[in-house]
Amino acid sequence: MRKLFTILLLLLPGTLAFAHVGSADVFYEGDAGPYHLFVTVRLPQVVPGIAEIEVRSALPDVESIRVVPLRLSGPGSNLPSVPDLAQRSKKDPQFFVSSLWFMEFGALQVRMEVNGDKGKAEISIPVASFARKSLPMARWLSGLLAVVFLFLTLGAVLIPGAIVTEGTVAPGAVPPSSNRRRARIVMAIALTLALLTLYQNRAAWNVQAAMYDRYVDLLKPPQAEVKLIDGNRLVIRPAGPIMVPVVGQDGVANEVNMDQLLPDHGHVMHLVLVSMPGMGTMFHLHPIRAGGVFSERLPAMPAGDYRVFGDIVDRNGYPWTLIGKVQLPTIKGTALVGDDSDWQGAQLTDPISETTVSYLPDGARMVWERGNAPLKANAPADLRFRVEEKDGTPAHDLEPYMGMVAHAEIICTDLSVFAHIHPAGSMSMAALDLAQAGLMVRHAPGDRGMAMEMAQSSRPQSPEFKFPYGFPHPGDYRIFVQIKRLGRPEGAAFDAHVQ
Amino acid sequence: MSQAQTVPAGLPEKIHWELPTTADAVSIPWTIWFVLAGINLALVGGTLDMSWHMSIGRETFWTPAHMLIQMESILVGIASGYTILVTTFKGSTRAREASVRILGLYAPGGAFICLWGSVAMLTSAPFDNWWHNAYGLDTKIVATPPHMLLMIGSFANKIGAMTWMASMMNRSRTALRGRLEWWLLWAGMICVAQLAVMTMDFTWMSDMHTASCYLVIALLIPPMMIATGWGSAHKWGCTIVGAVYTALSLAAEWMLPLFPAHPKLGPVYHNITHMVPLRFPLLLIVPAVVTDLLLQRLAQRSSWIKALWIGPAFVLSFLAVQWPFADFLMSPASRNWIFGTAYFGYADSAGFLYDPYKFDAAQPLRVFLLTMAATLVVSLLTTRFGLAWGDWMRRVRR
Repeated sequence: MRKLFTILLLLLPGTLAFAHVGSADVFYEGDAGPYHLFVTVRLPQVVPGIAEIEVRSALPDVESIRVVPLRLSGPGSNLPSVPDLAQRSKKDPQFFVSSLWFMEFGALQVRMEVNGDKGKAEISIPVASFARKSLPMARWLSGLLAVVFLFLTLGAVLIPGAIVTEGTVAPGAVPPSSNRRRARIVMAIALTLALLTLYQNRAAWNVQAAMYDRYVDLLKPPQAEVKLIDGNRLVIRPAGPIMVPVVGQDGVANEVNMDQLLPDHGHVMHLVLVSMPGMGTMFHLHPIRAGGVFSERLPAMPAGDYRVFGDIVDRNGYPWTLIGKVQLPTIKGTALVGDDSDWQGAQLTDPISETTVSYLPDGARMVWERGNAPLKANAPADLRFRVEEKDGTPAHDLEPYMGMVAHAEIICTDLSVFAHIHPAGSMSMAALDLAQAGLMVRHAPGDRGMAMEMAQSSRPQSPEFKFPYGFPHPGDYRIFVQIKRLGRPEGAAFDAHVQ
Repeated sequence: MSQAQTVPAGLPEKIHWELPTTADAVSIPWTIWFVLAGINLALVGGTLDMSWHMSIGRETFWTPAHMLIQMESILVGIASGYTILVTTFKGSTRAREASVRILGLYAPGGAFICLWGSVAMLTSAPFDNWWHNAYGLDTKIVATPPHMLLMIGSFANKIGAMTWMASMMNRSRTALRGRLEWWLLWAGMICVAQLAVMTMDFTWMSDMHTASCYLVIALLIPPMMIATGWGSAHKWGCTIVGAVYTALSLAAEWMLPLFPAHPKLGPVYHNITHMVPLRFPLLLIVPAVVTDLLLQRLAQRSSWIKALWIGPAFVLSFLAVQWPFADFLMSPASRNWIFGTAYFGYADSAGFLYDPYKFDAAQPLRVFLLTMAATLVVSLLTTRFGLAWGDWMRRVRR
């Protein structure tokens, strides 16, 4: 009986979840037409479940925001349900909040209609929807249910027994013994039926729980097999098929087709190698794909144990991070080429010493303008950086690096968090393109390539940039940032403690 | 001679109020009105809830439909709980003598069943809420344990109401008997409608050319319909049940689309502008009439002989009309407000919308014939059960 009322909490910690690793919420900063917005999508723990959408407008020019979730691509991505009017904060009229039902696993988008002084505008933000856990039942509820089910079982036996014994007997008359015999048979049948019903429902419950656990399991970051071959070629492949649950078909899951991945700002995989322990070396590489296998000819690398994070985006716009590890000897490889970059510097200290300045190879420096206030978990904010020349003047030689000014990887020292973020936000850029393309198709089918064109812009980049992000939980973090100067990618790193 | 304590009309009002256990009621007591109000509100709530899921989608515990459904548990719980307490602790000897006794508590048997049903329904609310928090919003009608608990509880309330009313009918020789007879048929009709909904996964129009459609109907409908019709002792009991089921289903189908509605939950596969009704009713009216005619003709025969004729006749007459009617429902001629085959829920998937007017693949002939043979045997047994239940309702006095 007790088992009937008990759902085991998954061993999976709440923080070890996907959309990167351990960083489920989505942060976005950008323009909806003339309005500049900072958006946070706080994902529900279980799906279907309620997501919290928080929007802050940069200026007091927004009057109302309507939000609606829908699929990112395919059927269901064209017909929105009735949008919700986000609640405007009375204390802060530039802050809007809404609760939305997320009904499905997979690649979704939150579409927003913004109304304000400058008219109406729309924006779509991709969201990777997945469940992080199944919920245990509170003790009071399991106790209540145990008592009630006992009462119901007892009633299901005693009531028919009493009715068969006395029900057809005239008021005041004594029931004949044949009624009592019949009642015993009926009570036995009733008990059997009650137990069968309980058993059948317990079985259905177990099936449901197992199916849900499987969904949670399927959407965990997939494991990668990582091998070094031919002395300097790193080969990465999923340890098993990556499966996505098919919504509406209980227990059915489809395999992600590795031949149909979406390039994410120009590359089919963004591979991050971080040396452990200490994170003193970090490489951001871009393997090529052949079938379901990714490979990269490694640059010169120091020997050591490396953690491997491989970001890919499936054809529906759902981002996956393959995780693995590999032990490498000293690699006498070639110099870094193309968009590949690295950073080598000080090891992590224990306790961590927070840093806000990181020197670039030519003596210039990157400064994290984090202020004096301590960093707080679950507090979305801009991580602001500026690049200075040796003499402290702003650097004017930043170039677009894979379509934007900078890239960052945020890694918790206990490896429970890995997030690959950009100035536009924490979502995959391929998914963002998909969401924006959907909007453009809706309004002007001819403008579909605009998002990509913007990404390919080669104009000089500002020495000041920022990343919208919220650290998912307290801990020590190392933040790697990459930029491109004078045609060469350069890396920086910063350490921070988050309360 | 029966020892029934039938009380003449004109019982003093004071005694009537002191005996709310209906031992000697001459008019329908407030407790029965509460029970009837509860199951009627739940009928409206259930119909609205199904349409809500197909048209609007988003739900909380506090939707109007859910409130109406849970009103059943509250009203029925108050009426039955009050009756049990008053009969046990303040009831007269006469009231107790017209009761059954369970663990020292006295009340009409129907009141105990109703209380059981109410507790089950009320318990399903926090259970369902937890279920949604743990596994998400379910979109199935009976598949989850909390929904099953709600359905069983709600069904028990109707069975309890019928038992309670039947016991009063059988002790009464006044006009009360006639009035209760109609309400008994009404409660039975709601049960039939509820069962018809529960068969939906097997009796959707694409299933109507499969033998399992008729097997499921034979399993669930005859016992309830025949128990009600035969138990009421009304000459056209089954016909009334079938007719009212048909009329109410049609009313829901024709009226719901008059109310505007838009999906408030994604994904939306189908644009909705109004409330979507469930479907055109099953043609149960035909086997209902056949059953009544046979019951009249076989009145003097044994229950087994009755079941031998009525069970197969029920299934075959239903098959004879529903099978060709399914062809019509699949045709363009039915895609109008009368037959309602052009209504789709907002979440009906693209695959379903691709070709909704297509029968499921035909079963191999051998499987079909074997299943139909099983259906006829099942119909005999379920009809026999319905007759036994109806007989019992004619005799129940407490």
